[in-house]
Amino acid sequence: MSVHLKLSHPNRIYRPSELLKGTIIVETQSSISHYGIRITIKGSVNLQVRGGSAGVVESLYGVIKPIPIVKRTVEVKPSGKIGSGMTEVPFSLNIRQEENLEKFYETFHGADISIQYLATVDISRGYLHKSLSATTEFIIESDKGDLLQRPISPETVIFYITQDTQRHPLLPELKSGGFRVTGKICTQCSLSSPINGELTVEASAVPIQSIDIQLFRVESILLGEKIVSETSLIQTTQIADGNVCRNLTMPIYVILPRLLTCPTIFAGPFSIEFKVAIVISFQSELSKLHKKSDSRTPRLWLAMETLPLELVRTM
Amino acid sequence: MEFRPRDYITENESHALPRARADAHPLSSPLSHLTQVNDDVVGGNADFYDPLRGGIDNDAKSTPPEPVNLSETSGDQPIKEWTSFRRLLMQRFPVSKMVSLSSMPDVLMRSGKSHDKSATSMHLEELDDPKKFADEGVKVITWQEYVSRLHELKDEITRSWLADNRVTSLKLSIKVAKLMVDTSVSEFYPTLFVLVTDIMDMLGDLVWKRIKQKAEFTEDGALLCNLAENFEASDICADAKETCYNWFSKIGAVQDLLPRIYLELAILPCRRFLLDQPTDSLQRLVMMTRGLGDPVASAYCRLYMAHCAQKLPSHDIGYLVTCVNDLKVILTQTLATNERNLGNFQNNKKLQISLMEPTIEYIMKCIFIGLSQRRVNEVLPELGLMKNQQNFGTVSCVSLVLHHLLKELPIEVVSSNVVHILHLIEFNNDNSFHQHLNYRLLGFRLYEGKCPVDIVNAVLDKVMQVIATYKSLDEYLKVIDAYADLILQNHMDNHLDIILRGISERALNGGVTIDEMSSLQSLLVKFLSHFECLEDVFCLNHFPEILDILHGKSQDVVFLHILNMATSRSGRIRDPTRIQLLFEISRTLHDNMEFINAKNDDSQVTRSVSRFVYMVDYGAVMEHHLAFLVDCRASFGRFNELKETLVHSSNSLAIQSLQCAKKDLSFFKSCVTFSEVTIPSISGQRQFDLFLETAEVAFLGGLVSHVDGLIDSGIRCLHILDRVDGFRTSADIEGLVSSIRKLCGFLIMVPGNISLPVTYFPNNLFSLISSQSWFDPKMKTQIFSAIILLLTTLSQKTLPYHANKQMPGNDMLYYGDSSYKQELESLSKVVLENLLCAVQQEPSQAARGSMALEACNCIASSFMQSNELSSICHTLIGTAKSCLSVQDRCLQSTIRLINNQLPTLAGAVV
Repeated sequence: MSVHLKLSHPNRIYRPSELLKGTIIVETQSSISHYGIRITIKGSVNLQVRGGSAGVVESLYGVIKPIPIVKRTVEVKPSGKIGSGMTEVPFSLNIRQEENLEKFYETFHGADISIQYLATVDISRGYLHKSLSATTEFIIESDKGDLLQRPISPETVIFYITQDTQRHPLLPELKSGGFRVTGKICTQCSLSSPINGELTVEASAVPIQSIDIQLFRVESILLGEKIVSETSLIQTTQIADGNVCRNLTMPIYVILPRLLTCPTIFAGPFSIEFKVAIVISFQSELSKLHKKSDSRTPRLWLAMETLPLELVRTM
Repeated sequence: MEFRPRDYITENESHALPRARADAHPLSSPLSHLTQVNDDVVGGNADFYDPLRGGIDNDAKSTPPEPVNLSETSGDQPIKEWTSFRRLLMQRFPVSKMVSLSSMPDVLMRSGKSHDKSATSMHLEELDDPKKFADEGVKVITWQEYVSRLHELKDEITRSWLADNRVTSLKLSIKVAKLMVDTSVSEFYPTLFVLVTDIMDMLGDLVWKRIKQKAEFTEDGALLCNLAENFEASDICADAKETCYNWFSKIGAVQDLLPRIYLELAILPCRRFLLDQPTDSLQRLVMMTRGLGDPVASAYCRLYMAHCAQKLPSHDIGYLVTCVNDLKVILTQTLATNERNLGNFQNNKKLQISLMEPTIEYIMKCIFIGLSQRRVNEVLPELGLMKNQQNFGTVSCVSLVLHHLLKELPIEVVSSNVVHILHLIEFNNDNSFHQHLNYRLLGFRLYEGKCPVDIVNAVLDKVMQVIATYKSLDEYLKVIDAYADLILQNHMDNHLDIILRGISERALNGGVTIDEMSSLQSLLVKFLSHFECLEDVFCLNHFPEILDILHGKSQDVVFLHILNMATSRSGRIRDPTRIQLLFEISRTLHDNMEFINAKNDDSQVTRSVSRFVYMVDYGAVMEHHLAFLVDCRASFGRFNELKETLVHSSNSLAIQSLQCAKKDLSFFKSCVTFSEVTIPSISGQRQFDLFLETAEVAFLGGLVSHVDGLIDSGIRCLHILDRVDGFRTSADIEGLVSSIRKLCGFLIMVPGNISLPVTYFPNNLFSLISSQSWFDPKMKTQIFSAIILLLTTLSQKTLPYHANKQMPGNDMLYYGDSSYKQELESLSKVVLENLLCAVQQEPSQAARGSMALEACNCIASSFMQSNELSSICHTLIGTAKSCLSVQDRCLQSTIRLINNQLPTLAGAVV
């Protein structure tokens, strides 16, 4: 006896105004009777505080009460019988109800904050039998109607990175030899298109080891009077490997990973922001000893530039 | 038994076939044709393509832009080309046994080992990690192991894919692609590239098929649509698009740059499911490749790009132009560091550049394949060339890139921009490629393009000026080699003079290495093939000096060429100095032969020398000619075939001397004697023929005693034949039998010798044949029949032919001598018995039948009718009838002959 849910969209992406459609598939050896088949959708923002800028006391709290977005149950079938073999029961329900104007945040899986939508099927079989149930996650992307109406003009920022723009200590040879890396990168970016930009190594006395684009999320949670923020790395994308030619322009092209990114949110109790960093590692004997160190820590052989990144959902 | 009197003249007339005059000689080809061929060879030097001149083509090889039949072959052509290119790429860099890596990637470890590791050991390893990174010792692995591991990985990827573990397949593919990061494997890198891209292509195919499947079928397997070859993105259902997008996202999330590019290239054709014009990605990928700091890795990445882009339905070559321009920048920077660091580092750079060369070659090829003239004109400025017509010094183009560009440029572009190209070559003299090889290539391209003379002149003036400064003979020759055809074709004698002097000066100063020798050889052969007349070549200044420089194999080749040139035309060689020169050349060839073992070369040299000896003609000074033949015999001991020519020559010389106004019998004798003593040193059955030929000559000059001796030697050499030749072909046997029959015909004229028995020669011949077991029954039948016919002829009152009036025949010598006839008869009796025996000995039925008929014919025409003979003939006809069909034409005509000749028998037979 088993039951599972199959959603109509293979990629499981739905907009709040859409109907959540699918099939409940029940497989059973012998026919069973039930007291109704129900579908429940539930969406919530789950918050968690640990480490980061939270104090010891706050971290003890651990999980903070989740913020509900939606919870609704619909009966798909009244009580009855299910024959043996495989039975498919189609269903469909509104995700958003007319009178209800709750904010449907987009699905996001972060370190401290996760916004998740689940659909659960329940087949209750009275007190004597264990009820059958299955849960599947579906992904919410903003409605077209909710999108920013103004056309998004990709905002690009011109950056330059030299030994003088670094706020952390550098290797003496870097300091004396100097380097200059320039480029531009967009800081407002549609989720459906990659982070675009370009980068040129104009000069560097010390050979370059690698140039990486790092994508960070900044999750902030209002905890009492305090805002607890944590920045964590989502993805690293190398754009230069080795001592590249000077004055050849290289593209910055980073496809934003699904689920791990969402439109930048500033809600009352929490906020989700993103940052992008250009990290240049120079060849150095020292770097070999610290291969596995956290890349956010400024090291003597690294130069970087971190820029805020606003993510938006566009058509 | 009595000989039948015969009337040869009437017999001949009655048996002769009717003759009619033919319009043309059957062996001569139509005359117009013949002259045509000659013209081509002589006058049209430029049109003449010599397929054997491989050496030149190798360097100037320019695959002509194949007429790409777009409708059909466009799909297969690049694939085929890629396959052959890959093979060449692997062969180009021979791999040493061990491959050294800068660090051993996990993926190369046997899968078994890595799975066995327990959690603790993994943890320990992690702890050790920093240390591991610290000691950057070179790791080694045998290349077989490397290759077999890659094959295993390929299988693993396929297996996981089939098991629906596509994520595992992707993960493994990423690891495989990562192997391309390590270029410290140096010579192994091209092989690695071939193997890795093979896996990438496979993955690309799998992804393509999967998405196509999703686009064409629903999940339940129902057909959605059939995608046409040129489908559009709008034809693709959302589900398939989603899967496709997912693949690009997954690959986009790969952290390392190099595997990310390789994988995106592998699935690049799948972009078509999302976009109608996927070419934008190419331009971005080219830019992304700039991020690869290692010159070799980035060059090969571009190579893979050029390959993958061909799978797109249409693409502009703009991205390739960017590739070349980027490679130019990379090479320039590589070369710049080159100058600063010397020594070991230098070698490393050299290897790097040689590893990069094939990628430039292939990309250039891709740019120019099937490119329109208009587009070519656009591409050249895009490549940074042809821009600054005023200021060439600023146009930078690495000489290696220039070389491959020059190779692929359409020939019209080369000839119309030749001055500009010259400047490019002049100003791009860096370490990536030897400048002189670019000059050389230009020469070949110009020759190929048949440029106007003024352009050729301009180029040659410049090139001659440049190479005048060359110190090395090798470089000098390499450039000259390319321009020699142009110089010769345009009759630029002043240049010819200069280059010959240049070669001789450089050769005398520095000596000649083996490589230079072969260049010199090819150059000289080119000169020789150009000039029709040997004298013209030898008239060139410095030519004889240069000839003297040659030695060894090259000398042989050039000398043989000279010899062939001298003997290629019909006619005679009369000039004594010329004869002397060719004789010396032949002698050198002969003396060098000791060191050559190849049989074919030998026979070619022998044939050419023989032809030369045959063509020599001293005219009236025949003594010199004979002396020359004597010299030849002394000098060319190793040429067997030549001795035969010597005998022929001396025989024909003898005949010539007879035809002279003042007959010099002693000279004639010398010639015959020369032949006589030369023949025994010739091996094989040719001896018999030559003895016979010489005997005929001697007979013509009236040297009867010589004739006897020669015939004797001839018959005696048949003895030796058995022992010398173990095996003969049937053609040899037929030849021998016909020679022996010819001897029988000759013996009719030879007058008897008082001191010898009348039937001395026929008897000798007969007893020799019957005593030698290797004469088979068929040969015996033929020879014995000939002997019987000879004896019959000798018995006639008048012989059918005579040598000349002065020489009396046997019919005169033995006129009325009854013992003479008796001897002939008694011998013929013995021969006849043996003949009958021979017929019966033949094992094969069909052969026995025709042999019986031959014997029967012989008897019927030789002897008068008698009972004894009738019964013999009866038996023979019986044998023939039992062996052959009644319809056999020969059987029927023989019966008719017998009816005629031996009437008593007729009743019995028919």
